[in-house]
Formats: sequence, structure tokens, C-alpha cells
Amino acid sequence: MSGWFERNRSMVLIGLGTLTALIVAALLSGGPRTGADHDPENPGSRGSQALARVLEQEGVRVDIVRSAAALEEQTLDPATTVLVTSPSNLGTSTADRLVEAARDSTLVVAGAAPGTVEALGVDAPVALRSVEGARPADCTDTGLGNFEGIDIEVDQAASYATSAGCFASESGWIVASADEGLILLGAPGILENDQVLRADNAAAALRLLGQQPRVVWYVPSLGDLVGDDGVSLRSLLPPWLTPATWLVGLAVLALIWWRARRLGALAVEPLPVSVRSLETTEARGRLYRSASAREHAADVLRRSTRDSVASHLRLPPSDVDVLVRDVSARLDRATTDIDALIGDRAPSPGSDDELIRLAAALAELDTEVGRT
Amino acid sequence: MVITGRVPLLLLLGLVPVVLRPAMSTVWLWLLLVAMTTAVDWFLAVKPQSLRIERGDIGSTRLGHEAESRLTVGNLGTRPVRAVLRDAWQPSAGAENNRHHIRLAAGGRAVVTTSLCPRRRGDLRSVGVTVRAPGPLGLAARQRTLDVPGMVRSLPPFESRKHLPSRLARLRELDGRSAVRIRGAGTEFDSLREYVRGDDVRSIDWRASARNRNVVVRTWQPERDRRVVLVLDTSRVSAARIGDVPRLDAAMDAALLLAALAARAGDRVDFLAGDRRVRARVRAAGARDIAARLQEAMADLDPVIAEADWSALAGEVNRLGRQRALVVLLTPLEPASVIESLLPVLPALLKHHRVVVASVQDPALGEMTRQRESLTDVYGAAAAARVVQQRRRASDILAALGVHVVDADADQLPPALADHYLALKARGLL
Repeated sequence: MSGWFERNRSMVLIGLGTLTALIVAALLSGGPRTGADHDPENPGSRGSQALARVLEQEGVRVDIVRSAAALEEQTLDPATTVLVTSPSNLGTSTADRLVEAARDSTLVVAGAAPGTVEALGVDAPVALRSVEGARPADCTDTGLGNFEGIDIEVDQAASYATSAGCFASESGWIVASADEGLILLGAPGILENDQVLRADNAAAALRLLGQQPRVVWYVPSLGDLVGDDGVSLRSLLPPWLTPATWLVGLAVLALIWWRARRLGALAVEPLPVSVRSLETTEARGRLYRSASAREHAADVLRRSTRDSVASHLRLPPSDVDVLVRDVSARLDRATTDIDALIGDRAPSPGSDDELIRLAAALAELDTEVGRT
Repeated sequence: MVITGRVPLLLLLGLVPVVLRPAMSTVWLWLLLVAMTTAVDWFLAVKPQSLRIERGDIGSTRLGHEAESRLTVGNLGTRPVRAVLRDAWQPSAGAENNRHHIRLAAGGRAVVTTSLCPRRRGDLRSVGVTVRAPGPLGLAARQRTLDVPGMVRSLPPFESRKHLPSRLARLRELDGRSAVRIRGAGTEFDSLREYVRGDDVRSIDWRASARNRNVVVRTWQPERDRRVVLVLDTSRVSAARIGDVPRLDAAMDAALLLAALAARAGDRVDFLAGDRRVRARVRAAGARDIAARLQEAMADLDPVIAEADWSALAGEVNRLGRQRALVVLLTPLEPASVIESLLPVLPALLKHHRVVVASVQDPALGEMTRQRESLTDVYGAAAAARVVQQRRRASDILAALGVHVVDADADQLPPALADHYLALKARGLL
């Protein structure tokens, strides 16, 4: 066990470190958060937690609802404002359910796109464009709230060409009164944490939502949509395609069955032991290298050369001095030279390069003697 | 149950009704139809068990030579049979074209042959005969693997037989028979005959010539009726491969050549193979078929991962007979195993017999000693040189004890050992 730990120490430490980091991150991240735009529980720059908190401090009860069923469970009376953010998640069916549930209350839909407007049963052209500078209220419908003297400032806003509303734009109203108890807010930016302090955005939002003592903040979820919301790709395809695909899939399964069935079991071979005869020798070489046994290797190579030279010259390999003298006489090289190569007291190589040079010189000496 | 390629095709044919009536129910109905048809077809297929399959005896063949496995298939049922047969062998048996299509009338018989070409020595076995019999529509088939035991014995190839004629010629020279100009180089007195020109004058028997009108020479013949004991080491050291051939196979080749030669020279040959225990034993075979008998005994030998128990093997050698013999130990000169295990038993063996150690050398070892380019090469060369020195030392120790050592490359060992035997015979040292 301790041996295993020694071998895998770095991996174990890295694993423990990663685990600790994950635990710390999970603990620090706190409770449930959402990253959706204009969400009352999103503290990020595009969230609306600030507005929700301020509404609560001002004595308005804020109930957050995240599904159509939960919305239907709420008692929505005339003293309630229903605010819808992320309306792009509304389908035909959820929009119908929303309108039905909120028929007694004031319904404020923030940032409704043309599809959503249509789903809510409002027939009004929608234009989305950027807005330069602050917009004055200029209300034509006082039922929307008291926006006297308030300017809003956002980068982009949708305007709805309805008959009445506030904050006029080139092609309609940014806060439009679309129907009895239905308000379309074309500038959801005024709800955002980041923009709520620009111009009089905060005041506009609070006055719009703070008219009633209770706000039901509805964030629709895609999970509530039923199958036939929107146009499916399926209706465009020929009707036989699905069954044909199934049939081809079944045929492929049959094909796999046909090809996968072998004609009898695999024939196995009882394998013999296979040992290369050089295996131990090579391992010994690697051992020498890992231990940097230069002195020993040089010793062995010298003795090997002495043996082969001595057998060539028919001398006993044990008498090194005689051998050195004879070889130097035969090759006409200095005795000290030969002695430094194959002598008994020759210095052992100090570095790997020296060892390689010595080995090459010994091999050369061997061939030279062999040639004479 | 086996389905054929017709089933997926039939399923695809269902596209036509699906286009005509586009609904999922059409798909399921079509699938049901195909499944029912296939099941009925499977049910109607002939049962493979109604075939009787027998295999003829294959016997033995030399490694790398062809053999044939013959299957006799008889239809015991009352219906004609159409089937595919697979005669499966272990891969090294080299079974070619082992799938056979057969058509048998009721009560009919057929013979199918699979050619085998063994690529490995030893007993190679068949795995089973698989029969696949399709139904009348060819949609489904019944399949069953029947156990039809079969074995081909792949003998050692005896590649060194090519050296035999030249060694036999040398043997006849020793005998003095092949060339009259040379007196027999043997050591046993054979007979007296008249001098002919060209005879060695040293062989003239002066005493016999004095009693005779002509000059008479003595002739000699090599000693006969000696014993040769071949001991083949099958322990772990014999498993090492040189090239792609285990040392054991090279040693077998050498043993076969020596046995064939010794049998021709009139000596009796005993053979032992073993490691921890004796694995094969052939007694006193002096007949001409010695090589075949040894091949048969060697066919099933494989190296064992165990150390050789030389004292047991030496005891076995002594048990073979008390007559003085030439004991040939076919074992690699691995310094460790020689010094620790073989040396202690040698003196007792040498007391009664003449001992020769025949060892397979590795040419790659010398090659490794000469590689000196890189640091790895140099250390490898040092290691190889060290092994060579240890082998030489072991060989020196053996020689000092009076053991002859024949150490040669795998393909050189058989002739070298045969030459050594002839040299001993010429000097009358058996």
C-alpha cells in the first residue's frame, strides 16, 4: 500500500487538490442562481434582483413563479400585477393560459417579440430599434400610471403601434397599453440591475409595477410547452419517411445479425513461451546504463579486446604486459598508447563521451591486429 | 439460429407497402411477416445432428510439409441435405480451404478434404466441425458445432539431413572401405589382406608377411557397438529463441543428425529428454529407423519454464546401462545453470562415460559486441562481452573437467557435433 502511494504520489496529490477546489467552489457559489435576463433572482448585470428587492422594501409583495401550473395556483385578483419576463419562452398554449389566469389582474409583458405579441392576441406591429438619449413620458393613457416628468434611457427598445401608451417612439409606444389590463413594456432594460440607475429608469419601473400591493413575477419555462406549439419539421416531410426509416433500421439490425454470426467458434492457438535469447543481455546493458557503470563497462570491453587480440597473437591473455609490448611492436605504436587502451592500470573513462571513444578505439585496435 | 443475407433484403422490400400505406403499423406487420417466414424456414431446416461425420487418421507429417484431413460425411436422415461445413483447426495447423459445400441425398455419403500445412512442431488438434444447414427458402439456417476429434503430429523437420551423406562418406573412409588407397583409420583390428600399391607402408604387418609369399597389410575398422546417449535439455534455457527458432529445435536437429550417423556407424543410440523430470525416452535403437523414432518422440516436446534437474537426468543416464557410453548433453552454455546445476553431477558421470556438451550459440551476441555507435550500444556491447566471457569461463571449467564442448551457431551445430563424433570415433575414444 505504501509502495503504491509512493509510486502514484503526484497523481494522488493532483486528484486531492482538484477535489478540494471543486468542493470550495461549490460551497462559495451559494444557493440557486439563474443566469436568465431580467430574472428576479439573477444578481448579474442583466438580472433584475435589485428591482425585486426594492419593490419588497417598498411594501410590495413579490411572488416569483416559474411555471404555468404554479401561476394558475396563485390567486390573481385586481390587486395584483403580473409581470412576465423572458416572454420568448411563451408558446401559444402558455400564452393562452397566462391571459386566462391573469384576466382580472394587470398584465405587464417585458420585451415581447412579434411572435409573443401575436400569441397574446394583440394585433400591433412591433419595431425594434436603438434609442438615442432619454425619452420623456408624454403619456396618452393615464391608466398606465403616473409617469409625469420621468425620462427613461435605454440602448434599445421595442415599440408597439397601439392606440395608447407612454414614451413615444417613431413608430409607436415603448410602454404600450395593448388591451384591457395588458401592458407591453418595450424597454425591459429599465428592469436590469445595471441600467436601473440610468436617467429615471428606476422610478419608471417602480411606478409601473408598484401600483398594486402585490406583484406576481412570472418567468415562463420552456418545459410547459405542449407538442403543437409552432410548426414542426415533420409536417413538411412525406408521411412514409418515418416508417421507412424504421424499416431500414430494422434491416440494418438484421444485416448486423447476419454478418456477426460466425461459422463456428474462433480457433484458438495454445501459444508457446516465447523468450528471446538476447533479452537478458539487453536488460543487463540497460542496467549498466541506468547505473552509469562506466568503469565496469570499460573494464569488460578492455578484457574482451585483450582476449581476442591475445587469441589472434597466440599469447596467454593473463600476461597483460607482454601483450601490450607485443601489440605495440606489431602495430608500430607507442607502448604507452596501447597501455592506455588495454592495460591493466589504464584510467577509467570520466564521462559518457570518453566511454564511447574508448569503445570505438578498442574496436579499431581489434580490427587492426586482426589485419596484421 | 442463423439468418442469411436474404432477411435484410426481404425487410427492405417492405418499403413498397410502406410507401403505399404510410403508417407504423405497416412496418410492424411486415416485420411480423418476415419473422414468421424466417422462423418457419428455420424450423424446416435439416438438423445438423442428422449428419454423421467421421475423420480418418491423419498420422504425422514433417513440419512445413502438407497433410490432409479427410472427413466422411454421411446423411442419416430421410431428407436431402444441403449444408456448409467448416473443418476448424488451430491456426498453426495451417488449414487451407476448410469450408466445404456439400449436397447429400437421403442416406448419401461424401468425402471432403482439408489440406493442412503445419507451421509448428508438436501435436496440432482440430477444434470442431461446424455444420450450417439452411432451410428450404434460404432465409434461416440451423448451425451446430460437432466434436470430431482429430490430430496431426508435426515432426521436427530434420533440416540437417542434408549433412548426412557427406558425414557417411567420412565414416566409410574411416572404415577403410570406400577408398582402398587409404588404410582404415579406425582403431579396431579388422583383418589381413594383400598389399596393393598405394597402401600405407606403415600398415604392413611384417610378421604375417614373413609367413606369407606376399606382403600383407593389416586393415582396421572403426570401433563398433558403442553406446551413444543423447540427453536433450527441455528446461527454461532451451526456450530462448534465436531468430524465430527456439534453441530446443536447433538442439533437436543436432540430435537427429548425430543419431542417424551413429546408427549407421553401428552404434546403439539412447535418447533422453527432460527438465525437472524425464519427458521422453527412446531405448537402444540401433535400427535404420532411428531418426523416425526420435522424431516421433521429439514431436511433442516443448520447453518448460523450470530449471533442469541434472542429478535426476544423470541418474537416468546411468540407469540406461552400465556400459561406457558417449553422453551428449544438448544444453545451452548458460553460465548460471551450468555452474549451479550441471557441474556437481559431472564428476560422477565422467567416471563412467565420455561427456560432450553441445550448445547453441547466438550469432546476435557477437553482433551486439561489435555495435559501438551510441552510449546504449556501448553499454549493450559491454553486457554482451560480459556474457561471452562468462560463457567462455563456463566452457573452460567444463574443459578442465574433461568434458568436450561443442559451441556453434544454430545451423552449424548439427554438422559440428557430427564432426566431433567422427573425430572421437577415428581416435577410438568412444
